[in-house]
Amino acid sequence: MEMETTVKERIFDRYHIPKPIYGVLEYIVAWARKFSIWPIHFVTGCCSPEFMQVSGSRFDMERLGVLPFASVRQCDCIMIVGVISRKMGERVKYLYEQMGEPKYVVSVGACPTGGGPFHDSYSIVRADEIVPVDVYIPGCPPRPEAIIQGLMLLQEKIKREVKIGARGG
Amino acid sequence: MTEAQVEPEIMRISWGPQHPMSGQTRILIDVDGEVVHRLIADLGFTHRGIEKILENRTFLQGIIPIERMSMVDTANMGLGYVLAVEEALGIEPPERANWIRSMICEICRINSHLYAFGLQAESTGYFPAVFLWTTVDREVLLDLMERLTGARWSYNFIIPGGVMNDLPEGFQDKVKEAVNYLRGRFEQYWEAMVENATFEMRCKGVGVLKREEAIRLGATGPVLRGSGVDMDVRKDEPYAAYGDLEFKVVTEAEGDAMARLKVRYHEIEESLNIIEQVAGDIPGGPVRVKVPLFPRPKPGEAMSRVETARGELGVHIFTDGGMNPYRVKINSPTLRNMYVFERMAELGRILVADVPVILYSIDPWYLDADR
Amino acid sequence: MQGADENSFVEALLKSYPELVEEARVLRPKRVSILARREKAVRLAEILRDEYGFIHPISAGAVDYPKDMRIQVIYYLTNPSQRFILTLRVNLPRNDPKLPSMTRVWSAMEFHEREVMEMFGVEFEGHPNPSRLLLPPNWRGGYPLRKDFKGEGVEV
Repeated sequence: MEMETTVKERIFDRYHIPKPIYGVLEYIVAWARKFSIWPIHFVTGCCSPEFMQVSGSRFDMERLGVLPFASVRQCDCIMIVGVISRKMGERVKYLYEQMGEPKYVVSVGACPTGGGPFHDSYSIVRADEIVPVDVYIPGCPPRPEAIIQGLMLLQEKIKREVKIGARGG
Repeated sequence: MTEAQVEPEIMRISWGPQHPMSGQTRILIDVDGEVVHRLIADLGFTHRGIEKILENRTFLQGIIPIERMSMVDTANMGLGYVLAVEEALGIEPPERANWIRSMICEICRINSHLYAFGLQAESTGYFPAVFLWTTVDREVLLDLMERLTGARWSYNFIIPGGVMNDLPEGFQDKVKEAVNYLRGRFEQYWEAMVENATFEMRCKGVGVLKREEAIRLGATGPVLRGSGVDMDVRKDEPYAAYGDLEFKVVTEAEGDAMARLKVRYHEIEESLNIIEQVAGDIPGGPVRVKVPLFPRPKPGEAMSRVETARGELGVHIFTDGGMNPYRVKINSPTLRNMYVFERMAELGRILVADVPVILYSIDPWYLDADR
Repeated sequence: MQGADENSFVEALLKSYPELVEEARVLRPKRVSILARREKAVRLAEILRDEYGFIHPISAGAVDYPKDMRIQVIYYLTNPSQRFILTLRVNLPRNDPKLPSMTRVWSAMEFHEREVMEMFGVEFEGHPNPSRLLLPPNWRGGYPLRKDFKGEGVEV
């Protein structure tokens, strides 16, 4: 964050670079970031087979740049696929804290969104009780097309974020 | 420093719920160098309290949580519960419904065994070629199920009294097409896995489970049949249409990871034969018997058993005359097989690199162990 | 003949060991239920394993009957040669549910007894690893599958 403010002060404000070029640079940076969302390979519940099919060849999600990756520090998204029990909820929090900024959370399925078929169970938590969620994808399980639409919504959100010269993430 | 002076030091590796392969559980491995001394399975990461939830649902609503106990193998789980409810109500579904149920169950068995192939291949480093092939082959079957029931994964199609709808027009021809296509594809799996020298080296002789140990430790499903025991609920207590269909119980004698893979492969072949028989010879008739929307069975108990892809599932329902069950006890196949997995370290000498191969040859699906 | 194995087994057991068994009956073809006396339960289990061949353990569970003030623990077993299911049941008083562990007879009951321990509060004496199986380790109080569980012990 510090670095970005000094870049803005040093280069852009001192040489009075006009707003349109600023806009183009932001657009390019956003385009690069939104086509390389790497989620953590972390499936917690019964929506996992549908997630598997999305990464298969018919509904290929890698064409959007989404590659489930194993190492947490190098990911920037956590896709909570399926129901979270209390024991798993602690791990979701650890993983969220281990990711580097900027990071996003996508809640896939009816269970982390609002409880789903297990809404009155003593043993589940909702995703937004633990981590701040960016995109909710309902369905039980959601169709692969719905998951891809959810990822495209996340891309839309990333495109609209202002990164250069902004404080915080 | 000679060998005798070095003390064995145990290091505990925690293979946590987030790891590069699939599986929502934590395995603790106590190693001394490369040799594994002890395996501990830490289950419960997907515990949803299904047995308690079912006490709060009517008998028909209860199908929904039960089917989510195993998403790749949905119909078998649902059928176990529905058979117990039918026993409690004292009704028998019509014959055509039984044949349709068998067909759906075999399609789910193939789905599940494909998943097992994919994971066992990934665990030996074959990634992710075979795993992605299985997603393509599974799409053929999912398309069939979508045509029949309207959903890809969780059907809610098998209900007390029969099945929801009859087969649509032209469905039987589509089934035969799919079976022929899949038969051609499955030869490639045999060549890629069983006849592949590197894969053989990783899987032959690894995780050997002898026949007496498999029975004594309570193994079930392909784990038990891979050790030479021919127990299969479809033959021991025929349910649905399995009494009228012709198929073999597949066993292999060696008891290692490769034997379990071969058992699953041949079971897929048998399943394709069964599906073809159903598509060709299914009897006519109604597909459903009328059952009230909120049935109230008499007080008593009902116990059913089905053979899911991973082993034997038991559903024991206690009723007290009300609209909800009094207690539902579910005997899960994966919980039994995870106990066998924990004892593997004591049965033979295994190395750290063998642990994923053994785990995925047992084919656990933790959602039905944790319920 | 349907039910021949089960009927002859129940008759033989009742004739040889009437003092260990409170009740034994065939529920339907392929399902037998035996209610054992609490103090003789382990002895009966050993006899079933050694003399009658019930060496393949399936599972263990329990049912809570608060109206009768008892908890019934059920063990599911099968015999690889005759292949019917035997449910071995023991009634325990609800305010003192203690039973010697069956892991000394069938070691595979370890996981299932752990689950009954955390869900119902039954204490199995001599269990090799009495720790939680499915619930989180910091679960405070409350036995979820008892009928009077109101959600206590749940922390957000």
